[in-house]
Amino acid sequence: MIDMKNVSVIYDNGAVALENVNVHIGKGEFVFIVGASGAGKSTFVKLLLREILPTSGAIRVNGKDVVHMQHDEVPYLRRGLGVIFQDYRLLPEKTVFENVAFAMQVIEAPRRKMQRSVNSVLDVVGLREKYKCFPNQLSGGEQQRVAIARAIVNDPAILIADEPTGNLDPETSWEIMDIFRRINAVGTTIVMATHDKTIVDTMKKRVIAINDGHIVRDDVRGGYGYEDADK
Amino acid sequence: MKMRTSEYMVRETLISLKRHNWMSIASISTVAVSLFVLGIFMILVLNMNRMASFLESQVQISVYLKDDLSKEDIRGIGDDIRGLQGIDTVAFISRSDAEKRLRERLGEQAYLLDALGEENPLPDSYEVTVRDPSMVETAAKAIAEFSGVEQTKYGQDVVEHLFDITRLIRIFGLVLMLLLAGATLFIISNTIRLTVFARRKEVAIMKYVGATDWFIRWPFMLEGVVMGFAGGVIAAIALKLVYAAAAAKIYDTLAFFPLIPEQPFMTIIGMLIVISGMAIGALGSSISLKRFLKV
Repeated sequence: MIDMKNVSVIYDNGAVALENVNVHIGKGEFVFIVGASGAGKSTFVKLLLREILPTSGAIRVNGKDVVHMQHDEVPYLRRGLGVIFQDYRLLPEKTVFENVAFAMQVIEAPRRKMQRSVNSVLDVVGLREKYKCFPNQLSGGEQQRVAIARAIVNDPAILIADEPTGNLDPETSWEIMDIFRRINAVGTTIVMATHDKTIVDTMKKRVIAINDGHIVRDDVRGGYGYEDADK
Repeated sequence: MKMRTSEYMVRETLISLKRHNWMSIASISTVAVSLFVLGIFMILVLNMNRMASFLESQVQISVYLKDDLSKEDIRGIGDDIRGLQGIDTVAFISRSDAEKRLRERLGEQAYLLDALGEENPLPDSYEVTVRDPSMVETAAKAIAEFSGVEQTKYGQDVVEHLFDITRLIRIFGLVLMLLLAGATLFIISNTIRLTVFARRKEVAIMKYVGATDWFIRWPFMLEGVVMGFAGGVIAAIALKLVYAAAAAKIYDTLAFFPLIPEQPFMTIIGMLIVISGMAIGALGSSISLKRFLKV
């Protein structure tokens, strides 16, 4: 699913974001990427989405060579990935239904399929009856659930979440994690960057800890660990 | 393109135009004004060109013959002139015809000629026109070499000035048109840039869910083209009205002026203006998209 070999990212100003990172994430895994702000979590996520290219090293995602990919192949890489951000990134002038359907529209999915798929993912996140609402009529947790619905509506093999619970209270965060668990249960690989200690410790999933651009720990059933990593 | 996609594109374009309606109106009017000025210049240059070639075609060579030539000699010179390359018409003007003409031209002052008595001071002559105005000088010089020819005259200075002026107008018009096209391009690309900026969230999401570059670009391109089209139509209508009014005025006062007839001239100009509007719109959008849609 995801393979990184000797990946380093050095930004133009000379800052080393990741150095010599080797990671393999298999199909159906649920992986937390933990580390302090600036440790390299975001860089890791950006590499998977090919928002940035590594300075050196090889990356394969969904069987595609991300590094040597042509520019016009990037959209097809991203169709196999669902993304969720801390700030939801919904379109305020579109309804819940339209926000989710938008993801299908822009990849020119058949319209017949659209109605069915959107309804079914709204069921997954429990927002079927709010399909007519606009984002500003929803709570933060509900907005993030819409974002999740949008991320999975095209059936991605991998769901990438960058601090998805960063703006949510603990209880709402658990609702989100519950949805993730269900999505993971049907075989979707989940990569979640976070520094929410309680969630990581309770979920008992694989944990990859990044500190100063290096992978400092990779535990199959880990906790957040490293008290100092979240200073 | 798939049907539902083109529907989507058209809808997005209209929504965007409506959402930024003040911006859209502002850009459409700027485009209209620029294209209007562009069109005015096109019309001016083309009319100037036409006038220049009209005047050029009026230039003729007067070939004055020596006195005491026999009829055969005179006819022979006429044949020789016709034998030259590029000669269009050759007309013989006898000295008595020339006198008649002069009398007509002098009108009330024709009595001046009476002072000469029976003596007619005018020579026999040929009036020669050439097919290509640029050949006037060569032809005149060649004819002057013929025996029996006293001298040849044509409006040397006038012809040369005319060439200079038409060349200047053409260059100036071209430069101005390019400048205006550049300005219009800049305005449209700026407007599209604002639209892209206003919709950057949508664009970012589109990229994340895997929309292709062209899918993202199309609505913006269409928006630019629609703005160019609207501006072009307004400019074309205004140009048509102005030309009709100006033509009426000019025919009233300067009936001989060789103005290009309104039809089909203005239809062609109008179409050109609308097409350039659309082309500039498309180009303007693609410039700003290139810079602001880095995926």
